[in-house]
Amino acid sequence: MSENIEQYLSQLRKELSGSDRATVQDAVSDAEEHLRSALEALRESQPDISEIEALPAIIEGYGTPAETAAAYQQIEERLGPPLGGRPQVKSRPALARFFGVFADPYAWGALLYLILSLVTGIIYFTWAVSGLSISIGVLVLIIGIPVTVLFMLSVRGLALVEGRLVEALLGVRMPRRAKYARKDVGWWQRLKPLLFGKRTWLALLYMVLQLPLGIIYFTLFITLITLALSLVAAPIIGPILHLPIVVTNNTLYYLPDWSTPLLAMGGVLLLTAIMHLARLIGRLHGKLARGLLVGE
Amino acid sequence: MDEDTATNRKFRKELSSGTVALVLLSVLDRGNEPMYGYQIAKLVGAGDADTPMGKQGAIYPVLRSLERSGLLQSKVEPSTSGPPRRYYHTTQFGRETLEQWTGIWEQTKSFVDNMLEGVDNE
Repeated sequence: MSENIEQYLSQLRKELSGSDRATVQDAVSDAEEHLRSALEALRESQPDISEIEALPAIIEGYGTPAETAAAYQQIEERLGPPLGGRPQVKSRPALARFFGVFADPYAWGALLYLILSLVTGIIYFTWAVSGLSISIGVLVLIIGIPVTVLFMLSVRGLALVEGRLVEALLGVRMPRRAKYARKDVGWWQRLKPLLFGKRTWLALLYMVLQLPLGIIYFTLFITLITLALSLVAAPIIGPILHLPIVVTNNTLYYLPDWSTPLLAMGGVLLLTAIMHLARLIGRLHGKLARGLLVGE
Repeated sequence: MDEDTATNRKFRKELSSGTVALVLLSVLDRGNEPMYGYQIAKLVGAGDADTPMGKQGAIYPVLRSLERSGLLQSKVEPSTSGPPRRYYHTTQFGRETLEQWTGIWEQTKSFVDNMLEGVDNE
């Protein structure tokens, strides 16, 4: 039997272990919202009732952790995890599948995200490193604590923004649970998870990692796209514009005309492969983001 | 009411898997403003022994799945006294679907009623 709401939630989480992470998040935040609302409503008529006295009746109506977990699992079974896995592409011919990537919004989203990641990487890295060093630097002073707290809050905020970005462009669901501000604990208890909690530090790690990753993604994709586009343009550059492809001191090298259509075809294939690569790296990056930015 | 045997429980669960969604959709459609889970649960009397809605906790996953199918929309708003609450309201698609579902329900209901009473073969 649960003695308080926190205990109920952790039992519920245990019952749901093995389910999709997003389902667990949904279930836990729904339960917390309901149980606290019910407790609040009960306290309007009986102001001094304690949580432990009130809870059995509330849970009687809401359902035990096992019953609640079963309700979520039943729906998950029927519908599949909430956006966790993308609907499987039905068996289409391999060629259609290969070129179909151009119609996949998440491939385009991933490409955009990966190229943008240089910019976001620079911002996150600068913010994380300078914020952290300023915070540590002024920690000996009296203003050190508020500066550090503000910085950590900004890290949480940026992590949320990045989560939205990942969700929109990479299609990886990044569930978030609005934290209930407990009134029965002091300000130190509330600050502790912010300063020492795993979530803030993992988010910081993610922000630092985003710069090297962003540089790699950006360089890789800009190089590949440039190469592919120049291949596609080969029939125009050679036979029509008569431009050489390599110029050394006094020698101009031209492509033989017959090779240019083949090169263009190679370019189209390469462009398609780039889209597949973007989607794949996007998925992997989404997993990383989910691992580091999503709590519990 | 009826006994709570395993067969009854199973039958009730099977019946409610569709009706709960219909009831929630219609309740949210009739209420003119967005509602949150606890409010809805109270309104439909879930968790009471004599309503066939199941436990209150069973409402939330249905709300989530209706939202996922685009019939409902929700937003989280902080509340002054308690935790942040997720407010649900019906979408245009939800309203259209409700109309169709109501039709399906009427059809099913009259069919089952007729069958239970025994149709007079003309």
